[in-house]
Amino acid sequence: MTSLAWERRRGSAARFWRTYRTHRAGLYGLAGLALIALLALTAPWTVGADVQSVTNAPGTALESPSTEFPLGTDQFGRSLLGLLIWGARISLLVGLLAAVLSVAIGTLVGVLAGHYGGWPSTVVMRITDWFLVMPTLVLAIVLATVLSRSMWTVVLAIGITSWPTTARLVRAQTIAVESRPYIERATALGGGHRHVMARHVLPNVMPLVLAQTTLGISTAILTEATLAFLGLGDPTVVSWGGMLQDAREAGAVSSGHWWYLAPPGIAIALVALAFTLCGRAVESVLNPRLGVGR
Amino acid sequence: MVMVTKVPARPRSGRPRRAARLLLAAGLTTASLTALPAATATAAPAAAAEDGKSGGTTLTVAVSQSIDSLSPFLAQKLTSTSIHRLAYEYLTNYDPKDARTVPAFATEWSSSADKLTWTYRIREDSTWSDGKPATAEDAAWTFNKMMTDPNAATANGSFTANFAEVTAPDARTLVIRLKKPQATMTALDVPIVPKHVWEKVGDFSKFNNDRQFPIVGNGPFVITDFKVDQYIKLKPNKTFWRGAPKFDELVFKYYKDGDAAVAALQKGEVSFVPNLTPAQAAALKTQKDIKVNDAPGRRFYALATNPGARAKDGRTFGNGHPALLDPAVRKALFLAVDRATLVDKVFQGHAVEGEGYLPPRFGSYFWKPEGAQRRGYDPAAAAKTLDDAGYRKNGDGKRLGKDGRPLNFRILCHATDPNDKAVGKYLQEWWGELGIGLTVECLDSVSDPWVKGDYDLAFDGWSVNPDPDYVLSIHTCGTLPATPKDTGATDNFICDEEFDSLYARQAVEYDTAKRADLVKRMQSRLYDTGYMNVMAYPNALEAYRTDRIASITTMPEAAGNLWGQDGYWSWWSAVPAASAAGSGDGSGSSAAGVAIGVGAAVVVVAGGLLLLRTRRRATADDRE
Repeated sequence: MTSLAWERRRGSAARFWRTYRTHRAGLYGLAGLALIALLALTAPWTVGADVQSVTNAPGTALESPSTEFPLGTDQFGRSLLGLLIWGARISLLVGLLAAVLSVAIGTLVGVLAGHYGGWPSTVVMRITDWFLVMPTLVLAIVLATVLSRSMWTVVLAIGITSWPTTARLVRAQTIAVESRPYIERATALGGGHRHVMARHVLPNVMPLVLAQTTLGISTAILTEATLAFLGLGDPTVVSWGGMLQDAREAGAVSSGHWWYLAPPGIAIALVALAFTLCGRAVESVLNPRLGVGR
Repeated sequence: MVMVTKVPARPRSGRPRRAARLLLAAGLTTASLTALPAATATAAPAAAAEDGKSGGTTLTVAVSQSIDSLSPFLAQKLTSTSIHRLAYEYLTNYDPKDARTVPAFATEWSSSADKLTWTYRIREDSTWSDGKPATAEDAAWTFNKMMTDPNAATANGSFTANFAEVTAPDARTLVIRLKKPQATMTALDVPIVPKHVWEKVGDFSKFNNDRQFPIVGNGPFVITDFKVDQYIKLKPNKTFWRGAPKFDELVFKYYKDGDAAVAALQKGEVSFVPNLTPAQAAALKTQKDIKVNDAPGRRFYALATNPGARAKDGRTFGNGHPALLDPAVRKALFLAVDRATLVDKVFQGHAVEGEGYLPPRFGSYFWKPEGAQRRGYDPAAAAKTLDDAGYRKNGDGKRLGKDGRPLNFRILCHATDPNDKAVGKYLQEWWGELGIGLTVECLDSVSDPWVKGDYDLAFDGWSVNPDPDYVLSIHTCGTLPATPKDTGATDNFICDEEFDSLYARQAVEYDTAKRADLVKRMQSRLYDTGYMNVMAYPNALEAYRTDRIASITTMPEAAGNLWGQDGYWSWWSAVPAASAAGSGDGSGSSAAGVAIGVGAAVVVVAGGLLLLRTRRRATADDRE
């Protein structure tokens, strides 16, 4: 039984990859992500944690790009290239964690609301609507201001504010799945709420959740960068948004030190783009109606 | 930009088009991130340009510090007190050349032989801006109010605490009788307010003087309008006895972002920007029509430790770290601070290394520790001090407190001050070497935790007046809050008997040399208590447009600052440049152009994101 299930899963994974391969943009996105992930994961060996150190900074303040510092230095004399690579770790980590948190909350709420229906569903969905109409950034700023300044606060602020879309999607999918005859059969055979939700509904909404997570990461990275840029991140942690904020505080904008501003901005754009490309490719692979003719 | 926006609308084949739009949306989002300061910079000055058109010359000054109160009885922040200097007269003023006392509201003064009775001759040619004459009666009422109502003594109570009686025998004579001699009698930095306006005020602790405009005063300027964190507008007082200011309007405009203020200066939307970063100063130096003023400052920039916050009633409060009550811990922390590196790296040379307490600019009172007393940078000695005091490192290299838990301190930092964050990074690493953890807590307003005593360490700084009485008074026991619920004038809850007795002695010492000696001994004592570590005396780094301001007086005249002077000299003396009157228009339209451009960028970004979202929705809704 289990081997049969594995066989089937392996088969569907292979099918997924075959279709995904036909989406050229998705492949570019994937390649970009792999490259950035590799850079971030190998950062401790390539640039080392010492790159953050202000007391052992190798250069002088705000140097222009040179062979020693390809992207110049910041106001403490630290190499901006090193910081950019090191900052990828925090930006990616926060993006991933926040997206996972947001999708987890959304999936839980969506499945519960879709499964139970009735007045609990109505109540939960009204709360969801309330969060949906709240401007995400404003709510995140309020949360990040009220809570203490740390990376986890930012993760929490983004996660809590961006789950409603997922909840709505998952609820719709849950209702659709539960109207199928085999769910009725499972219930007739004695399957309880938990069994139906965990064994039948969840696996069927998983592809949707996967696509949603991939797309959510790029939003989360952008929001993290925005919060850090507005000075709401942890000032002692190097992240891309934090680098932009540091650049602004050093006066890099008005003094024309573009090499301080441009690289983190471009990095944010590229990572967000890569995740979006992947997410859309995954989405169109998993949705048969979207896949046709594209 | 217009061309680019049309790209997604043009019909093309499916996939590349989508990719292009995504690229565009992502790119523009980043553009909006980096363009934000520019947007704030250009949005505000539109109003300034409009004002300029109403005729006449406007001097616009960029400020960032919020006004705590426009009431002279409550205001303590530099922006507020600087504006009170412009709007009200003080009994005496300081000469811009050498900061000696010069006549202001009082033309001459004398003291009795026992130095307990002071008689001031009040000037006859000063009138309030509502036309009523300003007399000794107003001054007497101001001082009496501060003596009788504790709420009116919040800001400047240290000056009147020793007053026995203040009377005005006639309109031109003010007599102050003292309980004991007081050294600050020719440096009473107390704005004199009009009695006929202020006697109607009920609760002085709540009245912020910001309801009715123009605000009645007799200084060189009259405050005509004020919007919290937006602007303060002043008009010249045409009948000011020293002569009316040359500019037709003075506007303090708020820029919470330093780079936005500099951008506004470059575009000519403001004429003066204080508190530049080294990079900004370096960039502005090379620009036409802009002069950078780099002068020794009158501020000190220090680390303050919480000595166990307490009130006058003896009750302690707050959650300061108990380990900081141990002098050895404080000494070790300070020994591990390399002040020379901070001056070199953070201030990039635009500061003087911190020593005792008062900045070297005030030469006669300047004191610095010598020999064994001095705490130089010595990390090895710092580690040894901690070892000897029983704070050992554990297996992970963390220093353990007496309760057996690792030492971790918090430091209160001003989120708006880049120097605080930068120094915080250095402290983290230096103290990390000692095995002590440091959490940098940056807040927009540090007042709340500060007043409640909820901090371990804090970044501290004060501007020093030519007479050091005030900055010394804030470390005396007398300024502690009455109860834990009250707010005192105290800086950071220091209360030391020896310091207090020296303070009392210098306050009654009229011999300047002897007083200077006492002030130096106070600084020595303050240094030895080890609650404060003055890290630097930052320079005043400021810039103004020479095509707007033809001339302006610095204080002191040789190598002095413009912003935050002891007196109204800079703004009162500023002479508009010949081109200043009409120049508002040209730059205004260019600013409008930039504003439109930025606005368009924002719209495009928003549109791009919206498009992206609706497309996402569309695909999602198609699902079963």
